[in-house]
Amino acid sequence: MVSDRPTLATKLGKLELAYPTLMGSGCYGSGEEFAPFADLSKIGAIVLKSVTRLPRLGNPTPRIVHTPAGMLNAIGLQNPGLDWYLARELHKYAQRPCKIVGSVAAFSVDDYAYVCERLAARDEIAAVELNVSCPNVAREGETFGCDPELTAAVVRAARSTTDKTLIVKLSPNVTEIAAVARAAEAAGADALAVINTVRGMAIDAETWRPRLGNLSGGLSGPAIRPIAVLAVYEVAQAVKIPIVGQGGIETLTDALEFFLAGARAVSIGTANFTDPRIPERIVAELHAYLASRNLAGIDAIVGKANVGFATPHQYEGDEG
Amino acid sequence: MVTRDLHAGVHETTVIERRELATGVVLVSLDAPLLAKTTCPGQYIMAIPPSGEAAATALAVYEAEGKRASLLFFITGKRTRELSELRSGDRLDVVGPLGNGFDLSEAARDVAIVAGGVGIASVLLCAQALLRNGSRVRLFYGARTAELLVDAERFAAAGCELVVTTDDGSRGERGFITDALARARRPDRIYACGPSPMLRGVAHIADRFGVRAQLSLEETFGCGIGGCWGCVVPVIASSAQAPSFPPAALGGSDVAYARVCKEGPVFWADELRW
Repeated sequence: MVSDRPTLATKLGKLELAYPTLMGSGCYGSGEEFAPFADLSKIGAIVLKSVTRLPRLGNPTPRIVHTPAGMLNAIGLQNPGLDWYLARELHKYAQRPCKIVGSVAAFSVDDYAYVCERLAARDEIAAVELNVSCPNVAREGETFGCDPELTAAVVRAARSTTDKTLIVKLSPNVTEIAAVARAAEAAGADALAVINTVRGMAIDAETWRPRLGNLSGGLSGPAIRPIAVLAVYEVAQAVKIPIVGQGGIETLTDALEFFLAGARAVSIGTANFTDPRIPERIVAELHAYLASRNLAGIDAIVGKANVGFATPHQYEGDEG
Repeated sequence: MVTRDLHAGVHETTVIERRELATGVVLVSLDAPLLAKTTCPGQYIMAIPPSGEAAATALAVYEAEGKRASLLFFITGKRTRELSELRSGDRLDVVGPLGNGFDLSEAARDVAIVAGGVGIASVLLCAQALLRNGSRVRLFYGARTAELLVDAERFAAAGCELVVTTDDGSRGERGFITDALARARRPDRIYACGPSPMLRGVAHIADRFGVRAQLSLEETFGCGIGGCWGCVVPVIASSAQAPSFPPAALGGSDVAYARVCKEGPVFWADELRW
């Protein structure tokens, strides 16, 4: 079909987005902070910073270290806790000209379900992301998202509390991300966010100490893009539910990699720290890209690069 | 504290001058009339890297006059190196003005401004505003060497009394500027910008003098506009600049992390718990 006006609309479960761009959790505050510099009506959704059942002060400083082609962060889920958040913060987000996705973090299956239920009950919240993969709050980086069965338990418990779209944010710090993705899908996830940050560390050669207050952190930015593209590519072959691709997206070309690998939407995080105009630019360029190829919408490009996996090449005479 | 978020925006500017004030210290002046007009003393901008290949860089607005807004910075890494290579006619996009600057609303008669190294970049507008208001302004200015005491004469010409120290004794007394401040006459108010150890020293001296001090802090920024909570400092949770956070009685804390970029970068010394 030839179309002069390709649509950029996309759907994640029941969540209908006018644009296939989400602003990554923890990178975009509540949206208010970026409003003077970015047109929020030209993005699909803001994923809010994760909220936990109880208040969290967050990690000691330094929380940020800039590294080649990216940065390490270890914020530590600083937030005022669910009660304070629901009573004093959430109402401010009702007037946003884009969808608002709440984000839940917790340290037990019960708390995931509890926070998810109360957050999802609010009208301001269009969908809920389950952050099962924050690398900065657990001992040795172990999170629910590192284990398919624990992930499934969290998703099942959260699923039982709401009909709103549930997005599960997966960790790249696993041996087989597809196994976690399948477990989340089977437990009732509507969509998967792929990927959270990659665990990392920077050490100060002067002081002989790790540079982050939390010692280790999560790496984001273009440095992790190839890791994220492969993760999306693998997950896209393992599940049928939509994928939000994320990890170092700064340009249209970067976003296209994720769509072609199998993402139905992309999330932009660290790039907002370079230039808050990037999300709007990507949307405009994506529109032009689709129009110039007479494509009706992003469905026409989702997963088009996905040709399975190469089989090991064997030479004649090889054994095994 | 003074916030002017209403005026914040993305400014597409052109470089009108680029000068090296000392080895590794660069002044870049921008044609940015709206930025110059709306920037308050102590506010900063995020400079979007022309290459797009790194996070934006937080830089104090040094001068703001007419159509000219200037950035004064030390070349400390890849990002400031890229900005130092800008030339007249080049384009530079900046986000700002940002943050809460110095609160000059209470007219103190006898003011001490303390600047360490590149901290000088945050205090010119502050000094100018205080002098216009008729305050007597002493500038305590410390640097590693005489050469790095950039623009000291400019502050003197503007009407500041100058007290300088250098680490190597090449100008002024050899030693820390905080030592000079501690020996000086007690001011009514202190404004300071510089490295953390200096600011902690200033806070201590202010406490001993029994005067209030405002400190412009530096911390590694992520976004620089309040979105990521990467640049924080512990403050008394009941203070005006604390983030929205429940008190200890409600399971929260009496000390909370405020964002240096959003609630700061200028804080009252007696409200910090660092």
